[in-house]
Amino acid sequence: MKLAQLLILPATLLSAVLAIPEYSEHLHLRPLPNGYLYAGFNFTASTSLSAYESQHFRYFPRSLGQILQHSHTKELHLRFALGRWDDESWGSRPRDGKREGGTGVEIWAWLDSGGGKPAVEERWSSLVNSLSGLFCASLNFIDRTKTTRPVLSFEPEGTHRGGGDGMELLHGTLPHEVVCTENLTPFLKLLPCKGKAGISSLLDGHKVFDANWQTMSIDVRPVCHVGEECRLEIQQTVDIVLDIERSMRPRNDPIPRPRPVEELECDESKSYHASDTCYPRRKEGEMAWSLSQIFGTPVRGSCHVADGDESPDVSLEISPDRAVEVLHSGSNETLMSDAQDQRLRVYRLSDSGKYTDISLIQQIIQEAPHQEQPPLYASRQITGFGQERGGMHAVLHNPHTYPQRIVYLESLPWFLRPYMHTLKVLSHPTTSHDQPATPVKPDKMFYTPALDRKRGTHLELLLTIPAQSTVELTYDFDKAILRYTEYPPDANRGFDVAPAIIRVLPLNSNSTAGNGKTQDSYLRTTSLLLPLPTPDFSMPYNVIILTSTVIALGFGSIFNLLVRRFVLAEEVPRSALAVRVAGVMGKVRGWVRSLKGRMRGGGDGGGRAVGGAGEAAGGAGGMNGISGVAESRKER
Amino acid sequence: MDPTSTEDGGGVSAVEGTELPASGNAKATPPTESARTLLTRRTIVFSFWAIVLGLGLPHWLWTTSTYRASLPLSTMNDWAEGKACDLRFAFPIRVRVPGWTREEMVELSGSLSALLDHDGSDGLLDFTIHVGNADEEPILPAHGDPALTVVLHAAGSPDTNGVTSRLEPGESALHLGSGLRQAGEIADQIREITSPQQEALAYLLSGTPFAVTEHGVLRATQNTWSEASLDARNTRAFKPSTTYHLSFSLFVPGNEPSAWAIEDALAAYMTPLLDALAGVSNFTVTTQVQLHASFSPSIAGPTFDEASGKWKLRKEDLSGFVNAAEWPLSPSIGEGSTINFVLYVPAPGHSPLVVADTGGTGWLVPQWGGVAILNLDEPTTPRKSTTDTDRTTLSAANLDEIMLTFADQLTALIGLPSSPAGSLALRIAALQRERATALLLSTASTLGALSRLVHKLPNIPIPDTVATSVGTSLRHLDHACQDLRAGRYSNTDTNLGALGNAQAASEASEKAFFEPSMVGQVYFPDEHKVAVYVPLLGPMGVPLVLAGVKELLGWYRGMREKVKRT
Repeated sequence: MKLAQLLILPATLLSAVLAIPEYSEHLHLRPLPNGYLYAGFNFTASTSLSAYESQHFRYFPRSLGQILQHSHTKELHLRFALGRWDDESWGSRPRDGKREGGTGVEIWAWLDSGGGKPAVEERWSSLVNSLSGLFCASLNFIDRTKTTRPVLSFEPEGTHRGGGDGMELLHGTLPHEVVCTENLTPFLKLLPCKGKAGISSLLDGHKVFDANWQTMSIDVRPVCHVGEECRLEIQQTVDIVLDIERSMRPRNDPIPRPRPVEELECDESKSYHASDTCYPRRKEGEMAWSLSQIFGTPVRGSCHVADGDESPDVSLEISPDRAVEVLHSGSNETLMSDAQDQRLRVYRLSDSGKYTDISLIQQIIQEAPHQEQPPLYASRQITGFGQERGGMHAVLHNPHTYPQRIVYLESLPWFLRPYMHTLKVLSHPTTSHDQPATPVKPDKMFYTPALDRKRGTHLELLLTIPAQSTVELTYDFDKAILRYTEYPPDANRGFDVAPAIIRVLPLNSNSTAGNGKTQDSYLRTTSLLLPLPTPDFSMPYNVIILTSTVIALGFGSIFNLLVRRFVLAEEVPRSALAVRVAGVMGKVRGWVRSLKGRMRGGGDGGGRAVGGAGEAAGGAGGMNGISGVAESRKER
Repeated sequence: MDPTSTEDGGGVSAVEGTELPASGNAKATPPTESARTLLTRRTIVFSFWAIVLGLGLPHWLWTTSTYRASLPLSTMNDWAEGKACDLRFAFPIRVRVPGWTREEMVELSGSLSALLDHDGSDGLLDFTIHVGNADEEPILPAHGDPALTVVLHAAGSPDTNGVTSRLEPGESALHLGSGLRQAGEIADQIREITSPQQEALAYLLSGTPFAVTEHGVLRATQNTWSEASLDARNTRAFKPSTTYHLSFSLFVPGNEPSAWAIEDALAAYMTPLLDALAGVSNFTVTTQVQLHASFSPSIAGPTFDEASGKWKLRKEDLSGFVNAAEWPLSPSIGEGSTINFVLYVPAPGHSPLVVADTGGTGWLVPQWGGVAILNLDEPTTPRKSTTDTDRTTLSAANLDEIMLTFADQLTALIGLPSSPAGSLALRIAALQRERATALLLSTASTLGALSRLVHKLPNIPIPDTVATSVGTSLRHLDHACQDLRAGRYSNTDTNLGALGNAQAASEASEKAFFEPSMVGQVYFPDEHKVAVYVPLLGPMGVPLVLAGVKELLGWYRGMREKVKRT
């Protein structure tokens, strides 16, 4: 297992032994329990610092190199992630979680701090804006409210002149960003073989983003070795966990349909098993799969472009008992195989072959799959109800028999206002439930309070999690009310809160001999959805109209009181216009009535009289017209 | 009531009807108002109106108005209409004759000056002749360096002989042989050198308001051939810019070659040229290697021609040869344009690859860059004998021809005039003049467009930064105009020079024109403001207007009665 990690990070550790090839790539495959497959792609290219500074690019991508130079970036880490790593069933995270990001987009970089704070902010903004263009992501929305400056959580991976002085770390997250194919395409364009040859030919947007968990990373850092010129190294990784059955569904019929009854595999031991009742039988053993079935295509050719690159391209971490068949077209050059480790098989793609495919058959393996326990389990939730306040509740569970020191980092948006005096860290031992919870005192705490619309909250805690216990971290917060224009179009969905980042610090080698890891590892909680009070968005117009109406009403009555002349009702002079209108109306009415009378009685005198009366009354004008009619009716 | 009477004249009876109730309630007329109440009411209505008109309306207009900084519109229009500057180009010439006395040379320069001025009346270049001795440096008061130095060599000098003239690539000097001594002959030689420049400047000015000078409307060149070539040069060249990013890319369809000796090749071929052009623009250079570069599906691709044994690329495919969707040719970061140079090495199976009609291997994409195809020789010896490096790396020797092609394309892409062919220094000086003119013209038209825009859209806000930029631009334009007339073309320590000033003016004017905050509120017209406030203005306005009208009518009637009475 240790060797497997060595191979997963060939650039970091193997490079110390061998001269670094300018470009190398590697694919690590590991079946996970319950029919999942982990595939970790790793592409490492490097260039000498002098070539980089004079802008001569070979395998290092020019587009990215220019961005880094323009923004004076010393070290860059960029992550695109989707889904959740199920550490309960899949075990510890690949690459110790170091090449993994929180849901959405995450970026942190060390920038040249020359020129003071405004210059750094200018560079940061130029960096995120250029990367936004390069990767078709909304990275340009990482502004000052989404940027934090963590103290303990990250350390530079590269070797920097002056030991990291004159550099400043900035960290930004975009939990709302949906990672998709448009981010993968520019990612592949940065590779020398551009997804056309070598293992990168397996990367297809349909498969990568169909995965249960997926993370893409880009890490640029300077690497120096004694006696050699410093090099700038770019490491690109894609880690995915695929549901084997789902990704092997036929390409021409991707819609899931019920299987015909004949094809169902039923558990016949169930008492209710009958011809029309079927309880699906549990799959036994390991599933059969092949690269071409899972990724839709076999590996095309190879991408051995650099001199001195002799490392294996593909490694397969499976039980020694499983049979593996390697098919390739073209030449039959044997692939490198069977490293020292029993569980690991490594292959090198042949240079002349056109296609290479690895296929495994279904087998029942007695041996339980080896799984490494993750260093820590972490989860985080929002508690409380209502639109005014809530609480944060993070649970950190240490399953190991030794205590662990961690750094817990939260970068919260400004509209979530935590109350630090309510911060409680309580520890419960998992072995015995009756013991009371004991408070845990953080060893160190860094807290930058939020400023409305200017800065988010940055909270960093250095904690020790006791052995075999669960630590609960809680605090309360207020939900701010945003301005009308600050709401996104889908305001009722809620607002994403970036995942908490947990760095598990390496243990001192002398304190617990060989128990813990010698390198630190990272894990991230899922991102949270924070419902904020959302207004009715027609509100401003309603308010304008309502207040206008109220003002107009008040104004109208006061104005009338001031200006009108008050006289007795009988004294009201009739306006000439009203008199004329009433006259016309009365005439029309009388004419209609006479017409009606004529139709009814054919010259009935009474009818005429009514018409005449009506006319006369109508002539009186105004309201009296109606009363005139009433009077004439009485007469009748 | 008699029904018949109603039948006869309804109208009359209606009138009578009106009289009836009125006569019945004769006493129900309101009491006449005292003059005091009338005055009070009128005062009230008047004060309401006074507040609305004197306070409300200006306040409303003020709060909903957009800020418009004042712009020097008339000066901007003067520039756009070509009135602000009479474009003339000083062209100081120094004459050096080793061995002559000062008097002889003054005489020669006098006659030269008369000859050149004679036909220079409709030309744009103002020739001034200065006399310099063989050894001593000339005194050029108030003028920059001479645009041209004419050296008359003595008979029997090893440099030149007979009636030949010669140009040196590195210096702006015309060396004349001993056979050319007459002022007329010398003037002809000078004219030969300067006429392309005159034509190019006239071409730039033609069609613009600046073409109207005191000497009448300037005509473009009469020569259609040279106009066509100037047209071609103009469409090919990039817009003038202070910085150009040169990006050299090697594209390979497969894995090999994956490296090239570009640094050596650039040092040998590009650096001298770029150093010479430093007075015109700054250049940055980046290089990259891109493997697995495939053709765009939109082109037919090369076809194999049996007869010649070559792969031919159809002419229609040249425009789609560069696969913009897949080849990473993103522009460089920072201000300035990116000039792309693409070297394509076809796969061994598709080699040699040439353009179908011409058989050439390089072409120029106007205002984008240049493309060259490098067909590697078929290995005559088996590959095994060569080392790996030979197979994967293009040596500097491979790149020699390509770099010459690229250098040629670069001169075309930045618009370097092709004549006088002998002297690069003269060509660059000509480019400086043309650049400064082009920038000046484009700045003038930008300012004119801005002025028209401000005039056309009364709602557009104008922030102070725009006014500042316009001011800067105008100041630099004035300087540029003066510098052109005085012959200060290039940048010195104390002065930006015509080109520098024109560039500064152009940048400032672009900044003013493309100010982002000016766009924002174009879409907030008066109709919107009114629509939002109608619920307020309607109910308030109706009583106010009615009361005002009523009182006005009452006042008018009162006045009329008074007049009648008197």
